[in-house]
Amino acid sequence: MASESENENVLLELRDLRKWFPVKEQGFIASRQVANVKAVDGVNLQIYKGETLGLVGESGCGKTTTGKVIVKLEPPTTGQVLYRGQDIYSFHTREDEMYFKRNVQMIFQDPYSSLNPRMLVMDIIGEGLQIHESHMPRLQREQIVYDLLEKVGLEDYHAMRYPHEFSGGQRQRIGIARALAVNPELVVADEPVSALDVSVQAQILNLMQDLQKEFNLTYIFVAHDLSVIKHVSDRVAVMYLGTIVEYGTNRQIFTKTAHPYSVALMSAIPRPDPRRKMKRIVLPGEPPSPINIPSGCRFHPRCYKSDNDKCIKEDPPMIELEPGHFVKCHYPEM
Amino acid sequence: MVEPLLEVKDLVTYFFTESGIVEALDGINLTVYPKESVGVVGESGCGKTQTAYSILKILAQNGKIMSGQVLYKGQDLVPMSEAEMRRIRGKEIAMIFQDPMTSLNPVMKISDQMIEIIAMHRDVSEEEAREIAIEALTAVGISDAANRIDEYPHKFSGGMRQRILIARALALRPSLLIADEPTTALDVTIQAQVLEIIKEMKEQFNLALMLITHNLGVVAELTDRVHIFYGGRVAEVASTYDIFTRPMHPYTIALLESIPSLDVEKGRLATIPGSVPQLINPPSGCRFHPRCKYAKEKCSKEIPLMEEKEPGRFVACHYWEEVEISDIAEEVIGSHKNKIKQKT
Ligand SMILES: Nc1ncnc2c1ncn2[C@@H]1O[C@H](COP(=O)(O)OP(=O)(O)OP(=O)(O)O)[C@@H](O)[C@H]1O
Ligand SMILES: Nc1ncnc2c1ncn2[C@@H]1O[C@H](COP(=O)(O)OP(=O)(O)OP(=O)(O)O)[C@@H](O)[C@H]1O
Ligand code: SF4
Ligand SMILES: [Mg+2]
Ligand SMILES: [Mg+2]
Repeated sequence: MASESENENVLLELRDLRKWFPVKEQGFIASRQVANVKAVDGVNLQIYKGETLGLVGESGCGKTTTGKVIVKLEPPTTGQVLYRGQDIYSFHTREDEMYFKRNVQMIFQDPYSSLNPRMLVMDIIGEGLQIHESHMPRLQREQIVYDLLEKVGLEDYHAMRYPHEFSGGQRQRIGIARALAVNPELVVADEPVSALDVSVQAQILNLMQDLQKEFNLTYIFVAHDLSVIKHVSDRVAVMYLGTIVEYGTNRQIFTKTAHPYSVALMSAIPRPDPRRKMKRIVLPGEPPSPINIPSGCRFHPRCYKSDNDKCIKEDPPMIELEPGHFVKCHYPEM
Repeated sequence: MVEPLLEVKDLVTYFFTESGIVEALDGINLTVYPKESVGVVGESGCGKTQTAYSILKILAQNGKIMSGQVLYKGQDLVPMSEAEMRRIRGKEIAMIFQDPMTSLNPVMKISDQMIEIIAMHRDVSEEEAREIAIEALTAVGISDAANRIDEYPHKFSGGMRQRILIARALALRPSLLIADEPTTALDVTIQAQVLEIIKEMKEQFNLALMLITHNLGVVAELTDRVHIFYGGRVAEVASTYDIFTRPMHPYTIALLESIPSLDVEKGRLATIPGSVPQLINPPSGCRFHPRCKYAKEKCSKEIPLMEEKEPGRFVACHYWEEVEISDIAEEVIGSHKNKIKQKT
C-alpha cells in the first residue's frame, strides 16, 4: 500500500487502544482490585480528513468510552491516539495542546449533564470562543452564537435561558452548537440526534453535512440508528464488546455485510420495503459482560456461525476481504 | 362505555421567563383508557414532556398550569396537594424520564435508588425488594445484575442507564406508565428487547402506557392510538392504524414524509419546510399555518377546533378534506402497514 501518501490523509489514528476500568471490592481495611471492565479492548482505526466515520454497536460496547479517550477526557490504559501524527497524551508544547483542544470537539450523548446548569446558553455556546479567540470582540462572538442558534433551529431569545428551561431535543441542539462554535477540525458526535424527531433530525444532519463541505470537517459519528448511519457515513466501523469487528465503506458494510454480528445488527432494522424484508436474527444469550470477555472470538457465544472449536480457541485476526473492507472473523459471510 | 384512566382536558401550561411568556401547552386534550397504549408524537419542543410533567405536577419553578383538568380515575389532580400527589407518583403513575443521567442520582448506588422505593410502594421487605430489583434489571438486559446493582450510575453506559430507569419504573407495578423517549439511547437489538418487556408487562399487569416518542416505528409497533402534537396543541388523534394508513392532518403527513429511508445513499434528507414555531408569540390561528401547503387566509385568523370527523378520529384543521397523501408518505405508510397488521 502507498502508506506514505495515504498517511497524509489520516487525521486521527487509534493504535491498539485499551481503556479498562478497575472493579474494586471493599475489603475490611482497603479496597482491592478484583477485575477490570474492559470497555475498550484493542481498537485500531484510522480516520481520514474530511470523512464521516460511522461507529455502531450495541449498548455498552464502548463507543462513548472510545470517544472520550479521543477527546482527552479519559486517558487510555494502553495504546495511543495520534492526531496529525502526534500522540495526544504527550504533546510537546502548549500550542500543540491548545490547537488540539480547540480543534477536536465532542457532542455528548447525555445533553443535560454535559451542560453547566448555572450558565446561560449564550455563555455555554460562546465559552470555547472566549477561550480560544480571546481577542474576539464580544459583539462578534454573540453574533456567532445567534447564527448557530438559528442554524440548529432555535431562537435568539433562547440565548438568555438556562439549560433546564429547554426540552430534551433543544438541549441536544445546544450541545451541537457548542461543539461547532469554535470551527473545529474533528467532531466526535455521540448520538447527536437521538433525542430529535425526524424533521429536526434531518435539519441537523443536513447542517452537519453543509459544514463538512464548507470546512472539510471530519466526523466520528456514533449512532444506534442504522438508517442515520447510512445517510451520513462515508465509512462505517462496527464495534462489539470493546473491539472493532468490521469496517469498510458505507456500501461495503451495508451491501456486503461480512461479520456475523454485523449481519445480526442489520437484520434488526425495520425495512421500509416489506418485499425485501430480511429474516430478523435474534442474538441468543445475554449481552456479554465486559468483565469476562469470552475466549477466542469474543462473539462466539452468540454467533450463528461459530464452529465450537476454532472460534472458541483462536481470536480471529483482522483480514482484508477487498480493498478497504476489513473483518475480524474466521468465517465471514462472502 | 369504559371510563378513561386518564383524561387531560383543555390543559394550558405557561412558563414565565425574562424574554416573555412561553405558551408551552395551549389546550391539550388527551385520553388514555385502561390497558391502552397511547402514543404521543410530535417534533422537538412541541410540549410532550411538559404535558407529562403537568400531569404529575412536577413542572419547573417558572412553569404553571393556567387552566384545565387532569382527571385520573375520575379525580382531578390539578387541585391536589403535594402530599396527595406523592401517593399518585410512582405507585399509580410511574414515569420513565427522558434524561437517564439526571433522573439517577450520581452519588447513590443503583441499589439505593431502587430498593427503598420498591419496598415502600409494593409493601415488601428490603430483601424481597432487592430480589425484585435484580429481577427487573436482568429483564432489561443488564448482565450480572446481582453484582452491578451496587455500582454507581456513571459506571453504566447511556443505554444501560436508560434500561435501569425502565426497570425501576416497571418494578413499581403502576397502573399507568408514562415513558418519555424510553428507547432513544438504545440500539435496535436492545430496543426490540425493551419493547418486548414493556409489552409483556402490559399484558401481565394490565398496565396502560403513554408513550412519548419521535420514533414512528416504535409507535407503529407498540401503540393502539396516537396523539399528534404540534406547537403545544393536539393536531390529530386516531387509532395507530388510521394514522399510518389514512393520516388526515397536513402536519401528520409531513411528519411521515420526513422519515429517513434506508434506500437512499448519503445525501440530503427531506425536512418540513420552515421552522419549529416559537412559543413566545406563537403563530396566530392554526399554529402550523406558516409551514402548511394547504394554508389559506382563514388559517392565520381562526384556531381550528379539534373535531370528530369520523368515529374515533379527531382532526384540528380547517381544510382537512383537501389534504392529499403524497407518494413519499405513501411509501412510508406501506412499510409501516405491515407492522401494524402483524400486531392486530
Ligand atoms: N467510569 C466507568 N467505570 C466503570 N465502568 C465503566 C465506566 N464508564 C463506562 N463503563 C463501562 O464500560 C462499558 C462501555 O461503556 P460505554 O459508555 O463506552 O458504552 P457505549 O457503547 O457508549 O454504550 P451506549 O450505546 O449505551 O451509550 C460499559 O459496560 C460501561 O458499564
Ligand atoms: N422551564 C422552562 N422555561 C421556559 N420554557 C420552557 C421550560 N421548560 C420547557 N420549556 C419550553 O416548553 C416547550 C415544550 O417543552 P417540552 O419539554 O414539553 O418539549 P418536548 O415536546 O418534550 O420536546 P423534545 O422532543 O425535544 O423533548 C419548549 O419549547 C421548551 O423550550
Ligand atoms: S469468528 Fe466464529 S464466532 Fe466469531 S463471528 Fe466469526 S463465525 Fe462467529
Ligand atoms: Mg454511549
Ligand atoms: Mg421531551
